Amino acid sequence: MAIYAGCDIPEELYYHPAHDLWVRLEGDDTATLGMSDIAQTAAGKLLYVRFKGVGKRVRPGQSAATIESAKWVGPFVVPFAAEILAVNTAYEQTITLANTDPYGAGWMVKVRLLDPPAARAELITGAAAVAHFQQRIRDNQIRCYRCEDV
Amino acid sequence: MKTIRVLDMGLVPPLRSQAIYHGVAYAMTPETPDTIILVSPDAPYACIGYHQELEKEVDTAYCAEQGLPIYRREVGGGAVYLDSDQLFTQWVFQRNRLPLDLERRFALYIQPLVETYQELGINATLRPVNDIHVNGRKIGGTGAAQMGSADVVVGSLMFDFNFALMARVLKVPSEKMRDKIIQSLNEYMTTMRRELGEAPDRAQVTRAYMRHCAEALGAPLEIQEPTARELEVTEEIEARFLSDEWRYMKGGLRQSGAVKIHADVYLLEAAHKAPGGLIRATARLREGRIDDLTLSGDFTMLPAFAVGALEQAMRGVSLEPAAVLARVGEFYASMNAQSPGVSAEDWTAAIMALKAQAPQ
Repeated sequence: MAIYAGCDIPEELYYHPAHDLWVRLEGDDTATLGMSDIAQTAAGKLLYVRFKGVGKRVRPGQSAATIESAKWVGPFVVPFAAEILAVNTAYEQTITLANTDPYGAGWMVKVRLLDPPAARAELITGAAAVAHFQQRIRDNQIRCYRCEDV
Repeated sequence: MKTIRVLDMGLVPPLRSQAIYHGVAYAMTPETPDTIILVSPDAPYACIGYHQELEKEVDTAYCAEQGLPIYRREVGGGAVYLDSDQLFTQWVFQRNRLPLDLERRFALYIQPLVETYQELGINATLRPVNDIHVNGRKIGGTGAAQMGSADVVVGSLMFDFNFALMARVLKVPSEKMRDKIIQSLNEYMTTMRRELGEAPDRAQVTRAYMRHCAEALGAPLEIQEPTARELEVTEEIEARFLSDEWRYMKGGLRQSGAVKIHADVYLLEAAHKAPGGLIRATARLREGRIDDLTLSGDFTMLPAFAVGALEQAMRGVSLEPAAVLARVGEFYASMNAQSPGVSAEDWTAAIMALKAQAPQ
């Protein structure tokens, strides 16, 4: 796992360069997605997550959820065509999961890739992902931090 | 140096004043210039945060009676009353043009607002993360959102503000709470009219604001018109904002029960059932301490002025059980008050019940 400016960038995960999210590919056509350490830091402490329904299909760039933090509202974007298989209902009990454990308990949605080769072509991983995020961190003078459990 | 586009929309219907920045954001293409929208509603309305539940936040019966529309925005935060005395300053920028760090993004957004106020002779300063204060009083609020491929930051220049109507449109547990909201808004908020004695000339303020935006952003500003596509998307947004599905969206953000006045000041109400009767505590908290407290209910306390004395005695106390109980104990030790069936622990329980309502 690479850590840069306090930001974890797990090299085994996949990322989309235009969105601060991670993708864990599981099997041929399923994946779990979540907010990256940079995304949760930028958003700040979450107050609310509204998920789209399980079974719903999203086009590339559409959101699978809306997120509200103390100072910001935004979509959780799925960068490729997908069907939502599951949403993380644990947010109903602990809204700050993405702030405390973004790559683990703080996952957002599990999806089925509707066009796996096209989806994979959009993603970066390993050293390329680390280099991309290091540049993004430098450009934005970000330093990541995690909320303490509440 | 890319030119920043300004859309000076003037006075528009309430719905358009909310929909326009959503429309410009959702219509954004890679070619769209970063845009600052200046707009005011031509009539009053109430506006709720993205994930709020309308009927839990706003007195819908009152609004219907007064003909005040209620719209949900795609920006967070709480319910607000808005009218033509605020000039909304809505930034719709390409993603990644504004700082990713929200504290820096708000600082950039707020800088021209603060400088505009200062140019008018108002001692405005940034109160991080996203408030503007004038000698401890808040002047307007701000919020940020991502909409499509745009980053949006919104706020306003406050010419004037109707504190009583703001308090009136909110759904609150009691009229006592409403009175306290009005009193607190008066105490902790301000406007250009209040600071200057009269509201300044709108055109002068707009010119100053644009000049300070150009300086803060390091780019020239140019007044243009929205595109046909932007207006088309704005109309689609308006249709959505009017739909019952959007207005009555359920399962929303659980509110803490507190009414936020500014970053450090909240109003809360809670109750505790003591053997001697119900105690209702309505309080204003400032930086975690009791700033003002009203105790009501069907308990008995003698002499009659003792309740007021207890309310006074609690001012400045930190909302911690030991501190509250100690101060209540001191009150009973210093005054021969009788409250059958209501002990010092009951007063403490009623006051500490406020903490459950307080935002974390």
